[in-house]
Amino acid sequence: MITSKNLTFSYDQNIKILDNLNLEIPTGQFSLLIGPTGCGKSTLLKVLAGLYPKYAGKVSGDLNLNGLKSAIMFQNAGEQFTMATPREEIIFALENLRVKQADYHKHLTAGVQFAQIENLLDQKINTMSGGEQQRVALAVLIAMDIDLFLLDEPFASCDPQARQFLITKLAHLRDQGKTIILSDHVLNGYQDVCDCLFQFAGHHVQQLDSLAKDKLLQTSMHQNNYSFAVPQNEAACFTLNKTQLTQNRLLLSQDQLKIIAGKTTLITGANGVGKTSLFNALTKMLPYSGSLTYHNREVRQQATRKYLLHVAQIFQNATDQFLSVTVQDEINLSKKQRTNGFFTDEKINEVLADLDLDQHLDQVVYSLSGGQQKKLQILLMLIADQDVLLIDEPLSGLDHVSSQKVMQLLRQSQKKRGQTLLIISHELDGLADWCDYHLVFADKQLHYVTK
Amino acid sequence: MNPSFKFILALIISLEISLKISLSTNFAIIILAIIYLLIKRIKLKNLLILLLVPFIAAFTIFATLEWFTPTPNLFNALGLSSRIYVYILTISCVTINTNAEELARSFEQNFHLPSKFAYGVLAALNIVPRMKQAVKQIRTAGMMRGVYLSFWSPVLYFKAILVALNSAENLAQGMESHGYQEDAHRSVIIAVPVRARDWVWSAIILIALNLALFILK
Repeated sequence: MITSKNLTFSYDQNIKILDNLNLEIPTGQFSLLIGPTGCGKSTLLKVLAGLYPKYAGKVSGDLNLNGLKSAIMFQNAGEQFTMATPREEIIFALENLRVKQADYHKHLTAGVQFAQIENLLDQKINTMSGGEQQRVALAVLIAMDIDLFLLDEPFASCDPQARQFLITKLAHLRDQGKTIILSDHVLNGYQDVCDCLFQFAGHHVQQLDSLAKDKLLQTSMHQNNYSFAVPQNEAACFTLNKTQLTQNRLLLSQDQLKIIAGKTTLITGANGVGKTSLFNALTKMLPYSGSLTYHNREVRQQATRKYLLHVAQIFQNATDQFLSVTVQDEINLSKKQRTNGFFTDEKINEVLADLDLDQHLDQVVYSLSGGQQKKLQILLMLIADQDVLLIDEPLSGLDHVSSQKVMQLLRQSQKKRGQTLLIISHELDGLADWCDYHLVFADKQLHYVTK
Repeated sequence: MNPSFKFILALIISLEISLKISLSTNFAIIILAIIYLLIKRIKLKNLLILLLVPFIAAFTIFATLEWFTPTPNLFNALGLSSRIYVYILTISCVTINTNAEELARSFEQNFHLPSKFAYGVLAALNIVPRMKQAVKQIRTAGMMRGVYLSFWSPVLYFKAILVALNSAENLAQGMESHGYQEDAHRSVIIAVPVRARDWVWSAIILIALNLALFILK
């Protein structure tokens, strides 16, 4: 049993993130932490991992891990690596744990097979997609052969197949006696696996009884059948013609494709298939070969500064979008180039309140929680005046309520202003039912589907 | 050859030829280094870069000592300018078949350099491509919001430093979460051996170098 007694954690004097937590998390079981964004899930995991208060904040109270060896996987997996490649990183971790050379292969194979990263083993980590990095991070923990796995939204960038596969694998680990504590916003796929469900609410955490737990996990089980139209002769915003994209390997080789103006198009596809790279090519961050036009003008020939005022990307990682220091500064910056009548000052204030950001106006953007950053980022980019927004995983790190609100806002803004939205998302709930078209990215091709 | 030995050897060669001018030794080293690089299959393009870029520095030194001094001295001028090539080419011999990981590992195992030093530097090196990407992304992010960040813009560097600080913080936590502890004993999975032939070759090279330096002009 992992126990905490009156555990309190705060980053500064005023705000307690965790307040007098009395927890009993059983060992050898699969525990799931849920709760709204910014509630302290990541903080609790880092306290359990022993990183806090060493690196930030103050802790009081007792915590007893029962002598378990633990390791954590960060929410932003890409920032966890010391070495350049997965193989080097695993060797580094194993040497730290004083694993003998004779046992190295056993450990390596365990990690590699678990996360299925054979083909990634000697690739540079910083060229991998978000989902691939998450699988590598998981492989390192498996190779380390620890007792307690602390996983902070480990599947946020994984496609549904990879996600289901990894959850099942984690359940096997649990059956071998490992303890797994995992935080997630998406409850899909846990119903047969999760032993204990802990819910955060207002700086406190409570364990749900098995009835409430099953109910919560069951309701998120539903399989939706979405349907989409296939574009006919509508005006194109982007036109691809024999377009090729390459990053490490050939990602896209598209003969003909039109992306329709003034509509919302959903893009799905497996991890590492090249979805973000496509967005990078559309925002001139990645070169392409062949032809790619925006309203019949070749993208590579357009002046970057002007072009990006029409076509913008909402990055997967929210902090990449920020240019100022506080929330208020960021809002003001976005207001500067606003000409649309939709986001009036009143509307902005209303949205800030709706997204629970109005209490954080003076806060430094980098100190917001992951979910708060995401909400702010999307709002900032909506206020600006782009005709086309490329949105990369808008729902990652957002709890159910927040993601509903963000979707509502995106939808409203799109309707009123006729923007073209391209959305990459693994999470389809609340999103797929209002997207006009659905592009599937597979086998180096994008094609429209009706389902 | 053992990476640390190679590194130290290059350092000693550079130091010694800095102390005494011997034109023939310099040229001998340059020729041997080029031969070594060719044996190790250096790309022709890289070799040309190695020979052409230092030419600016070498030529400047040569011109100063041969044409713009009251007492021109061809021997000194050639001696000093050829040194530039000795420095560049000997270090290339080290880097051509040793990467940063191997060198760090070798320093840690063979010279008992504190691991936090070796891995700290490695981790920092791995941040470099991330920083490059980050700068590009910051500029794009700026342009998308009507802010043009030139390469001398303070905002660009403010953001870049924030990214670096954040990465450094995460990296420290990341290292620790992967079991790293300062000053703790670590096992060796990839051993970097010091072989007898490393000693023998180093000795031969050093003796030859010193003989050449003091006998040849």
